[in-house]
Amino acid sequence: MDTHTQGQTTTRTASTVHTADQAEKDVQKDILRFLQTRTKRTWQPETDIFASGGQSSLFAMELVVHLEKSFGVAIRGKDLRLDNFRTVVSMTELVHRLQAAAGGTGD
Amino acid sequence: MTDPISFASTEITGLIAGDAEEWDRTGALPLDLLRKLGADGRLCGQVPATYGGWGLDSAANGAYTAHVGSLCSSVRSVMTSQGMAAWTVERFGTPEQRSDFLPLLTGGELAAVGFSERGAGSDLAAMSTRVRRDGDTVVLDGHKVWVTAAHYADLLVLFGMFEDDGDSEGQEEGAVAVVVPASTRGVRIDRVHDPLGCRAAGHADITLDEVRVPLTHVLGGAALPLSLLVTTALAYGRMSVAWGSVGILRGCLTAAARHATVREQFGVPLGEHQLVARHLAELLVAEQTATRVCEHASRCWDEGSPDQVMATVLAKHISAGNAARGAATAVQVLASAGARDSHLVARAYRDAKLMEIIEGSNEICQLMLARHVLGSAA
Repeated sequence: MDTHTQGQTTTRTASTVHTADQAEKDVQKDILRFLQTRTKRTWQPETDIFASGGQSSLFAMELVVHLEKSFGVAIRGKDLRLDNFRTVVSMTELVHRLQAAAGGTGD
Repeated sequence: MTDPISFASTEITGLIAGDAEEWDRTGALPLDLLRKLGADGRLCGQVPATYGGWGLDSAANGAYTAHVGSLCSSVRSVMTSQGMAAWTVERFGTPEQRSDFLPLLTGGELAAVGFSERGAGSDLAAMSTRVRRDGDTVVLDGHKVWVTAAHYADLLVLFGMFEDDGDSEGQEEGAVAVVVPASTRGVRIDRVHDPLGCRAAGHADITLDEVRVPLTHVLGGAALPLSLLVTTALAYGRMSVAWGSVGILRGCLTAAARHATVREQFGVPLGEHQLVARHLAELLVAEQTATRVCEHASRCWDEGSPDQVMATVLAKHISAGNAARGAATAVQVLASAGARDSHLVARAYRDAKLMEIIEGSNEICQLMLARHVLGSAA
């Protein structure tokens, strides 16, 4: 199930702050692009995607699967809480945290 | 049919094809058969080998599910339950919980998943089962209905609303899925004795009266939004029902084709009569369409594509509807030869109707598809 090795992702090997920032920006850009493609509208990084009249739990699942595939992370258990998917910023943080955790265990 | 599947398919044909009618009549599957299939990893084929599972991808598991579904929808329903339980543990469980529970599900223990309640069918938000935290344990109170395979189950995966005891911080409001051994004090399982279809699938109602299990049985250890929890768990069930419905169609197609070839009326085989021939064409179209849409959904799962979410709903909706119509057509073709209760097409007729109801009714699927259309409108 896990696809850590195949992430077409931004690399974590760079150690400079600059590169790490760039990596996060790339993640954010990717998620914004995905949202736009799926919903045919533009989103701001801080906009609540699931606010009233917004998207459904099925759409939340699409986001989960997209993040897993695009960034080579496995989102399980309590990481599936909705707050992690509420905004592009929170999704970017989640991806960053999971990538760091996977790297930290030598995975 | 891919290779690892063909041996298993031949094997299970020998184990169930001759007895499915009898099981439907008596409403019971042999427990030792279910345990053997479970221990061979056949009931939840997508569990990875690291947990003792068969390690199939969605496409291969779908092919096997359809094969079983073509023989006996009751056994296939037990597979759907076991697979959904395993998927829920895999998705929401901690690494420890996956190591604790998945080997049980591939080791011969049987599982059922409880969502529905008397006042909460399609509207699962009305769920009233409570899971109250009490120190290192949780206490469940509530009532579940129509839980497939619960009559056979050793482990129940039950959904309920979480109530914290106030000691822990940062808990989100919401629901949890809890693994409850069926033998736990306070669990009562009452068989649904006369289901319309899948009569041997062991549907049962479950009453929970102060049922206490360790906190470690709460999957993921934290509450999540009910809709996300249920939607995720059901995704596997929908794929399984979709492929099972393809199986129903294949069984019907084979039976109708044989009868239309052998049976003669007005001096020619039935299939030579144009109105009967049209039934055969429609059955083929139904089976092929359902197969293709299931293959597409499984491919989306296996590629990790986000399209899998809607593709799964579409596959379930198309396949269940096609199976219900196709089974009715098959009964029409076989006429008196298939009108005996528990005959393959008579079973298919009853079983397929249930497929239009469970794991998201026709109407709920249509609402989800419509919402998808609206959500992606420019």
